[in-house]
Amino acid sequence: MDRSTQTLIEEMADDLQPVRALRFRTGLLWLLAAVGLTVLGIALLPGLWEGLWQGQASALFLTTNGLLLILGCAAVSSVLRMATPRVGNRHDGPRWASLMVAVLPVAAVLSLVGHEHPLGEIADPHGLQCFGAAMLASLLSAAVLFYWLRRGAPVAPRTAGLHLGIAATALGSAAYGLACPMDGPVHLGLWHVAPVLAGALLGRYLLPPLLRW
Amino acid sequence: MIAEEETLAELMRLAQGGDRQAYTALLTESQRWLERFFNRRCAPGNRDDLVQEVLIAVHNKRATYDPARPYLPWLAAIARYRWVDHLRTVYRKAEQDLTDGDIPAGSEEGAMLARLSLDRMLAQLPEPQARVIAWVKIEGLSIREAAARSGQSESAVKVSIHRGLKRLSALPEKAE
Repeated sequence: MDRSTQTLIEEMADDLQPVRALRFRTGLLWLLAAVGLTVLGIALLPGLWEGLWQGQASALFLTTNGLLLILGCAAVSSVLRMATPRVGNRHDGPRWASLMVAVLPVAAVLSLVGHEHPLGEIADPHGLQCFGAAMLASLLSAAVLFYWLRRGAPVAPRTAGLHLGIAATALGSAAYGLACPMDGPVHLGLWHVAPVLAGALLGRYLLPPLLRW
Repeated sequence: MIAEEETLAELMRLAQGGDRQAYTALLTESQRWLERFFNRRCAPGNRDDLVQEVLIAVHNKRATYDPARPYLPWLAAIARYRWVDHLRTVYRKAEQDLTDGDIPAGSEEGAMLARLSLDRMLAQLPEPQARVIAWVKIEGLSIREAAARSGQSESAVKVSIHRGLKRLSALPEKAE
């Protein structure tokens, strides 16, 4: 055995302290707490939309927020698993879930074809407000996932950053969706999905240097 | 191999609890495994440095090992990550010809090592990219030599290496 490596091993063994293994379940509980606090904050500040429990929610409203929630869950699962790497881990879930959600803006744009004033539909005065609020609602989940990855050992930082951005903004948008009464296909398909695209870009390009170890 | 895997997993569980004797045994076995893993996959003079880097990563990130799962796929993911880093940073002429590795051909250990090996990652790249990465980053050829050998321009070789390394960095957990 190489002498310097033997010395290194001895030093590391001397330095050994007990550690608590990083558990998927623990990360999930942290994330659920973050989402719970986010929903509580939304309920206290803008307030949840009353139409939700009065049977006024349209099928599109429920479908959009449901798809965002599923995308968020798929990406969260991927991020939590990336913290404990192993050859054989797969992270394909967010890709397929993203494609499902991508149908919404495509459908929104296609629904405008033939309209007399398509730009008028897109220039929704509430759109930017929903976009900003959803981004804000993503922050707590993003912080928890970032902390988890920093404790962990992500071996593909670009993918980890991308999935973190998608997870946080999909959950943030779904959470803020509980406060937004607008259920038009253009509003939901563009302004409620746009935060996910923004989160994906931010995560993919800003986070990897911070996730390297 | 299964027995070895179970032994290593048990040693790691004990190490996470603070058992120094188990930890020493685990690191020693890991070192041997890593030496075989990196054999012929980095410039000969760099193998020991790379093994040490992975051992330090194992030490710093030992909490990320899930005791309910096998140990070697976790170690291999970390080793692949460090290897890609190494390919990015190390740029040197090989000091001697590559020698045959000591992977036991045909054994169960050889099969496991092959499944987790770095060749699986290189095989995911387009052949020209994998070839120039092997020449420049592993065998130690200069860009000019690699360009002459491949018949490409120097800038094309650099672009191939850059793209190949970028693609490799997304692959440490992929088995096939």
